[in-house]
Amino acid sequence: MRPGRQLAVLGLIFVVLYLLVFFSGGASGGFKDRLEPRLGLDLVGGTRMTLEATNSLDGRPPTAENLEEARQIIENRVNAYGVAEAEVVTEGNRNIVISLPGENRDLTDVGSAAELRFRKVLKAADGSGAAAAPAPTPTPAPSGSASPAPSGSAKPSGSASPSGAKATASPSAGGQGGGAPAPSASATGSPSASAAPSSSASAEPVPAGVEEQRKAVEQKVGAAAWQAASGLQAPADLTADPSLADKLKPFGALSPREIAVLPAEMQFNVPTITCAQLDQRPPASIKDEKQKAVACEDGVQKYLLDVAKVLGTDVGDANAVLDQTSSWVVSLDFKGGGQEKWTNLTREAFNNEGQACDQTALGQDGKCRVAVVLDNKVVSSPEIQGVLTGDSQITGSFDNKAASALAGQLRYGALPVTFEPQEQQNVTATLGASHLRAGLLAAGIGMLLVIIYSFFYYRLLGSVIFLSLVLSGLLVFGALVFLGRQIGFTLTLAGIAGMIVSLGVAADSFVIYFERLKDEIREGRSPRSAVPRAWIRARRTIISANAITIMSAVVLYIVSVGAVKGFAFALGLATVLDLVVVFLFRHPIMTMFARTRAFLSPRVSGLGRILPPARSEQATRTSRVKEA
Amino acid sequence: MAKTGLASRLYAGEAGLDVIGRRKLWFGVAGALILVAVLSFALRGFSLGIEFAGGNSFQVPASVGTLDDAEKTVDTVLARTAAGAEVVTAQKVGGTGGDFYEMRTTQLDAEQANEAKAEMARVFGIQADQISGNQVSEAWGSQVTSRALLGLVIFVLLVTVYLVLRFEWRMAAAAVSSLFMNLILTAGIYSLVGFEVTPSTIIGFLTILGFALYDVVVVFDKVQENTRGITANNNQTYGEAANLAINQSLMRSLNTSVVALLPVGGLLFIGAGLLGAGTLKDLGLVLFVGMAVAFLTSILLATPLLVLLKNYEPRIQAHNKRVLARRTALAKGEITPKGAARPAADADEPVDVDAALAGAAPKVGARPAGKRSTGARGGRPAGGGGNRPGGAKRR
Repeated sequence: MRPGRQLAVLGLIFVVLYLLVFFSGGASGGFKDRLEPRLGLDLVGGTRMTLEATNSLDGRPPTAENLEEARQIIENRVNAYGVAEAEVVTEGNRNIVISLPGENRDLTDVGSAAELRFRKVLKAADGSGAAAAPAPTPTPAPSGSASPAPSGSAKPSGSASPSGAKATASPSAGGQGGGAPAPSASATGSPSASAAPSSSASAEPVPAGVEEQRKAVEQKVGAAAWQAASGLQAPADLTADPSLADKLKPFGALSPREIAVLPAEMQFNVPTITCAQLDQRPPASIKDEKQKAVACEDGVQKYLLDVAKVLGTDVGDANAVLDQTSSWVVSLDFKGGGQEKWTNLTREAFNNEGQACDQTALGQDGKCRVAVVLDNKVVSSPEIQGVLTGDSQITGSFDNKAASALAGQLRYGALPVTFEPQEQQNVTATLGASHLRAGLLAAGIGMLLVIIYSFFYYRLLGSVIFLSLVLSGLLVFGALVFLGRQIGFTLTLAGIAGMIVSLGVAADSFVIYFERLKDEIREGRSPRSAVPRAWIRARRTIISANAITIMSAVVLYIVSVGAVKGFAFALGLATVLDLVVVFLFRHPIMTMFARTRAFLSPRVSGLGRILPPARSEQATRTSRVKEA
Repeated sequence: MAKTGLASRLYAGEAGLDVIGRRKLWFGVAGALILVAVLSFALRGFSLGIEFAGGNSFQVPASVGTLDDAEKTVDTVLARTAAGAEVVTAQKVGGTGGDFYEMRTTQLDAEQANEAKAEMARVFGIQADQISGNQVSEAWGSQVTSRALLGLVIFVLLVTVYLVLRFEWRMAAAAVSSLFMNLILTAGIYSLVGFEVTPSTIIGFLTILGFALYDVVVVFDKVQENTRGITANNNQTYGEAANLAINQSLMRSLNTSVVALLPVGGLLFIGAGLLGAGTLKDLGLVLFVGMAVAFLTSILLATPLLVLLKNYEPRIQAHNKRVLARRTALAKGEITPKGAARPAADADEPVDVDAALAGAAPKVGARPAGKRSTGARGGRPAGGGGNRPGGAKRR
C-alpha cells in the first residue's frame, strides 16, 4: 500500500544490522576483521585437546561403553558453548579428542570429571604449606581459634537459615579469612583431637594396583619417614618437633600422582603434603565414594572427609542463579532418592551423629560442616543449619561465568571415566582455503545462473530478482557476522552450501509471485491492477510454503545436536530473512514498478508475452470474470 | 503455428497434460520403485563415510614435506596396501610436542593398518615408530543421527497438523505420503548407486524435507483455489479441476525447480569437477537427486493421491457422478450447452471419454442421488434452486 514506508523499514533494518556488525560488543580490530564471520573447523581449523582416560589408579583402560558414554557427555558440554560445530571422537581405547573451531580456546574444563560428592568434614588442617617450613610461622593460629572469625561465615549462613529449605554454604573466600576456625585447630587442638577414633579406619581394602604403587612410594620416601607418617594420629605439629619435620620432608617432594595413592589419613596428617600438591592429584584420586578422602578448599584449607553419602548422580538439576544477596550461587535440585540421602546427611551433620566430626571441623555454631567436593577439590563447605528437606544451593566466590560452568558440569552429569587433559594443540583446517574459495565460486556461479535464467524468462523483472537476491545475501551475511560473535554461530562449508541452496529457494518465491502475475494478466487484467491482486494470492502461498521450511528449521534446531543444529539455524535464518526481503522489498518495488509505462511493454517486462494472444479475447474474458 | 509447441503452451499454462487420468500408471511406477528401494536397503545397505563408520588416523611428522605431498603419498600407499581405502581429511597439528600431519582414513583392519604404516615409513624414509596410528570412532555419533531422526518425526507430526489446519486432512495425508515416497526414493538411489553417505548427505536430506513439501504446498494451493465451490456447478469433476491446477502451476513448479536446481548444479559441478570428493559434492549430489525427485513426486504422486482420497468423499463422489451424467446427456443432445467454449476445451482431454463411459452406466441411479445432493446445498446463498435443469440454465 505504501511502498515508500516499507522500503524505509527495510533500510532501517539494514542500518541497525550493520551498526551492530561494526560496533556491537566483541567487534574489534580493523574494518575487515569486523566483517569476518566465524568459520568452522573444516574451514579455519581450531583447537584440539586429547583427553586420556585415567579410569582408576591401577591403570586399566575403561570399557568401550564407558568411553562412549563419556564422549557423549563431553559432546553435550562442548555444544553448550554455543552453535559451534565441535567434533568429539574417541581414539584408540582410552582417548577422547575434542576439536573446536577457533584457535587457543580453553578446553580444560570440558574434560574435568565433575564428579560431585557430598562428604561430611571430619577434620580440618592448614594445608597452605606454611607449616611445612619448620619454624617461621608459629602464631597466626591461636588468635584465630579464640574467636572463630565472625566476619567470614556469619553473612552467608545468616542469609540461609531464614529460608529453611536452603543450605547456604559459607563461601570461605580465601582473602576474607573465612576459614578461620580451621587453621587454628592444627596448632592448638590437635593433641586432644588425636583421641578421635578416625585413625583406625586405615584398614580399608585397597586395590592391588594401588597397593603396589603405595609400596613404591614407601621405598621412595624411606622406611623412617613412612613409619613416622603412619604413626601420626593427627596433623603433626612440626614446630613442636623439628626432628619430625626432617623425617617427613621427603613427602614434600612427592609428585601429586604419588600422593594420591597414600592413605587418606596420611595425606591429611603429614603437614609437608600441601594443598598445592593435593589439588594437582590426577582427577580420579578421590573417586571412590566408600573411602575417606582428603581435599582442599581454596588451596589453603585441608580437610579430612568422611565417605561420600550423597553423589552427583543424586542431583536432578543444577542452575546458576542470583540469590537474595545478589551473588551467584548454584541451585541444586535432588532426584527422588537423592533428596532422602541429602536429608539424612544433613541430619547427621546437624546432630553430629555417625562418624563424628572433630572439633577442628565444626562451624561457628558448633555444627558439623558438609563439603561439596567436585573432583579433587572442595567447592564450598557449609555449616549445616538444620535438617534440610528441600532444594539446596552451593555458594562460593562465583561470578556468573563460574556458576554457570559449574551448573553445566553438574547438569550434564559426571563422566563415567576420569580423564587427564593432554597438551592442547592448534590444528589447521580439514578442508581449507581452496574449498572455501570453491564454495564461494559455486555460490557465485549458481547465483549467476539463476539471474541469467530470470532475465531470460522474466526480462526486466529479472532485475527485481537480482536486487532482492543481493539484499538477501547482504542481510544473511550481516546476521552471520553478528550472530557468530554473539552466540558463537560458526559457519562450516556445509552451512555455506545450505545458504547457497536457500538463496536459490528464496528465488522461488519470485517465481510464485510472477507466475501469479502472469495468471492475472492472462485473465485479462491490466498489469497495474494485476500486481496487488497477484500479491494477495501469492502472499498466501509464499507464507504457507515458507512456514513449513521454518518449522523444519525450528524443530531440527531444538531437537538436534552438533552439525545438524548449526545447519538448521542457518536454514531458519535464511528463510526468515527471505520473508523480510519479500515483504519489505519485492512487493513495494513491484507496486512502484507497475506504475511505470515500461511495465506494460512486452519487450521489457516479460509479462507482455502473455498479452498479444490474449488481447483478442480480452473483451469476452473480462466480462466473464466479472460475472463469475 | 509454431506458437503451439509444448514450450509455449507450457508458458501460457495450457500444456493440457493428463496427469490425473494416468494415476494408476504413476502409482504403479512409484510402488515398483519403492519396492526396489526397500529391497536395496535390505540387501545392499548404504556405504557409510568415515563420520559414521569410524576409521583410522595416522600421525606423520611434519618433517616429511608439505601437507599436500604427504597426503598424496599416504593415498598412494593406501591404494597399494589396502584396496579401496583413502585419506578423508589431512590436517597439520601443531603444539609444543612438535608439528605433525594427521591423516584420517577410511576403516582399516589391524593388519592393513600395520602394513600401511610400515609402507609409509619406507616411502617417507623415516623410522616406523615415528608414525603412530590409531582407530578413531565415528565423529558423527549415533546420537547425532538418532536426534536428527527424532527431529524428522516431530517435524512430520507438526507439519501434518499444520497442513490439516491450512488445507484439510486429505491434502495433509497426500502431502506427507508423497514426502515419504520422496525420501525413500532418494535414499533408494543412494543405496542402489552406492554413493557415500556423509554428514553432508544427511544435512542435504533434511533440506529436501522442506523443499519437497514446499513444492507440494504450491501445487495444492492452486488445487484448493480451483476446487473451491466446485460442487456449485457441474462442469468439472474434482479430478479434472486438479488436473487443470497441475497444468496451470506446471510452469511455476518447473521454474521453481530450475531456479532451485541451478545453484545446486553449480555446487555439484564445482564439488565434483574441481575438488573431487568432499562436502560440496556430497551435498550437491543429494540435493540434486532429492529436488529432482521432489519435482516429480509433487506432480505425479501428491496430486493424484489427493484426487484418489477426494473421490472417496461422498460429496465429491456425488458431484463427479453428476458432472459425468450431465456430460453424457450433453453428448446425446438432451441438453444444449450455453457456453460452448468450455466443454469444447474439456473435450480434448482424453480421459473424459473413458471417464464419461465409466460414469455412463449408473446414469439412471445417479439422477436421484444428484437431486438429493443438490437439495442438500439448497442453503447455499448462490447455489440456485434444487431443480437441476434450472440451475443449468442459470449459468
